[in-house]
Amino acid sequence: MICLGLTDADKATRVRDYAVEHHIARVFVLGQPLALDLTVPVECVAWPDLIKYRFYYRLLQEVDGRTLLVVNECLRTQKRYDLTYNCIRAFLNQTSHQLVFQYLPLIDTAEDFAILFDFDSRSRWRREPLERLPLGEVMVERVDVAPNFVTVDVPTPEAAKASYAKCKRELINGIGLRDPHTIPRNLYLMGGVAKAACVDPAGHYVGRNRRMGLSSLCTFRESCGNSHVVFEFPHDFIVFSDHLARTRQRSIDVLVADLNVDRWYFHRFTDWSNRIRDAYATIQR
Amino acid sequence: MPTQRFSGKTVLESARERMAFVFDACPEVIVSISGGKDSTVLAHIALTEARSRERRVGLFFLDEEVMYQSSVDQAECLMKLFPGVGKPMWLQVPFKLTNATSVTEGQLDCWEPGKHQVWMRPKRSDAVKAKPWDVNTETTRNRAKGFGFYDAIENLQRHHAGAAFLVGLRAAGESPNRWRAVTKYPIEFGGRRVYWGTRRESVATLYPIYDWNTHDVWRYIWDAKLPYSKVYDWQFRKGYPISAMRVSSLIHERAFKSICDLPEFEPKTYDRLLKRIKGIALAQEAGRSAKLFACRKLPKNFSSWITYREWLLRTHADRERVPIFEKRFARHLVNEFVARQQCRQLILNDYENNLTVDSSPDPREALIRYYDEVL
Repeated sequence: MICLGLTDADKATRVRDYAVEHHIARVFVLGQPLALDLTVPVECVAWPDLIKYRFYYRLLQEVDGRTLLVVNECLRTQKRYDLTYNCIRAFLNQTSHQLVFQYLPLIDTAEDFAILFDFDSRSRWRREPLERLPLGEVMVERVDVAPNFVTVDVPTPEAAKASYAKCKRELINGIGLRDPHTIPRNLYLMGGVAKAACVDPAGHYVGRNRRMGLSSLCTFRESCGNSHVVFEFPHDFIVFSDHLARTRQRSIDVLVADLNVDRWYFHRFTDWSNRIRDAYATIQR
Repeated sequence: MPTQRFSGKTVLESARERMAFVFDACPEVIVSISGGKDSTVLAHIALTEARSRERRVGLFFLDEEVMYQSSVDQAECLMKLFPGVGKPMWLQVPFKLTNATSVTEGQLDCWEPGKHQVWMRPKRSDAVKAKPWDVNTETTRNRAKGFGFYDAIENLQRHHAGAAFLVGLRAAGESPNRWRAVTKYPIEFGGRRVYWGTRRESVATLYPIYDWNTHDVWRYIWDAKLPYSKVYDWQFRKGYPISAMRVSSLIHERAFKSICDLPEFEPKTYDRLLKRIKGIALAQEAGRSAKLFACRKLPKNFSSWITYREWLLRTHADRERVPIFEKRFARHLVNEFVARQQCRQLILNDYENNLTVDSSPDPREALIRYYDEVL
């Protein structure tokens, strides 16, 4: 079964109910650790450990027909045939009991859902694209957690705009063989000073780093619990996806400076949010 | 170009109908086999049809010498599948084969006379060891390169003029270019217009399973409980994607990567290959290396792919081929995207242009332009 958008408490309940109903003798949590209060032994194997020999071969020996595998937040890369995914497949082949938990159904595109589908379907269709998968073959429980973004306009001085234009020209002219995505990544930092002037010291903000030295601003790695205003978006969707999974925010205010790059990032993430909604629709068909 | 439409028939029914049509139209039918899955299926369909008509069908296998042992075993197995129905035509004649793994030994002389000590395996007693066609009228596509793989096939086909040659080439599920190439020029055969064949002089080459996809092939093998090359099983276990599971030559430009896994799959074949031809150990180590054969990462001593290409041209070991490359590159666009592909051709000494260069604008430059416009 694939469960999307559940809280840790809901996940723990699902695991407990499943373990009782199917007389499970042992539980392995693969990926993100999950606090479980069960009478049977529980072991968590973190994502980086899944490919290590000392875990891989031991799990192949120990996972049997009475073991429940909880695949928790394991959608970490878009590469469907990634080594870690292949290791998880090997563990899943040892038992018929698995629960797949994930906050969002994708990293970037709807095709990513096929990875979760593989986990829950013994990878029988792992070479087929999403459009050809028999989606009715797996049960999906979902809570709609697609984010909504709200713009908070930040006035930007003309000097900052001039500096932005200059920096853009320098970046483009000097890009050489470097990754072209360096251009928006670096330009996006330019609006930081203007945004810092609008920051409420009592609020909670999340940004790429602590370069502005603001006590109310934390990084995407550190965010948890509270509702945060997005000071600036990360470039990679997975970083933001992790942030959402920790904070469970739905409605998100975003500081948008009067610069093209800020507007571009805002639209990029709005499109991403729409893709999540489309993915929900695809999964349900 | 013909489009694909549902006809209500399965591809197997259609293939059987095509096979019956070929047998009706032609007194001599020859199936080319390679030891791969497609030719296995085609040979089985042809043998079944021939048996029902109490006729014989030629099973032509051009032995490339440097092959997976499993492919050789599979070819042998097919020849024995329907005793008395299949007519073995196992050709072990000398011809040249491109070797992409070495710039100093760019061609392998398969079954080179006088070098039987280093052959991958001895010639078979039941094989055709001398060219069956008239050597005086023998044709060669490229005299500079010498008598090659396709020359052997063409001369054999001419020797059997009037026969229908069946090939297990598939166009569905492959590239659109393959589909276009197969269906674009229909031929007249047996009083009908046939979209699944090509003709050269009086020889018709037909592709009865051209509309099958990979899954159809595996389904047929399963249903008919056919034996197949063990290499597919090893590739599957190793996690190869279905499109990459191929059993082709070991040393040409598109297939040398298979050498990387050869010691694991067939250690004895690898051991013999090491002794047979140059470049194998390097290809085994670096066949998938981003900085060498794959040419995906620029070596750090160079500032651009263009400078790397110039350096490769300047220092290329096979000096005779350099003008060929220079002439070809002069027709290409000058950008990093194209230069990277040119570097790959130089590293693989692909003077025959088998790995064609896509001479189009650099997508990276397009992305930079896009950022310039929107940001």
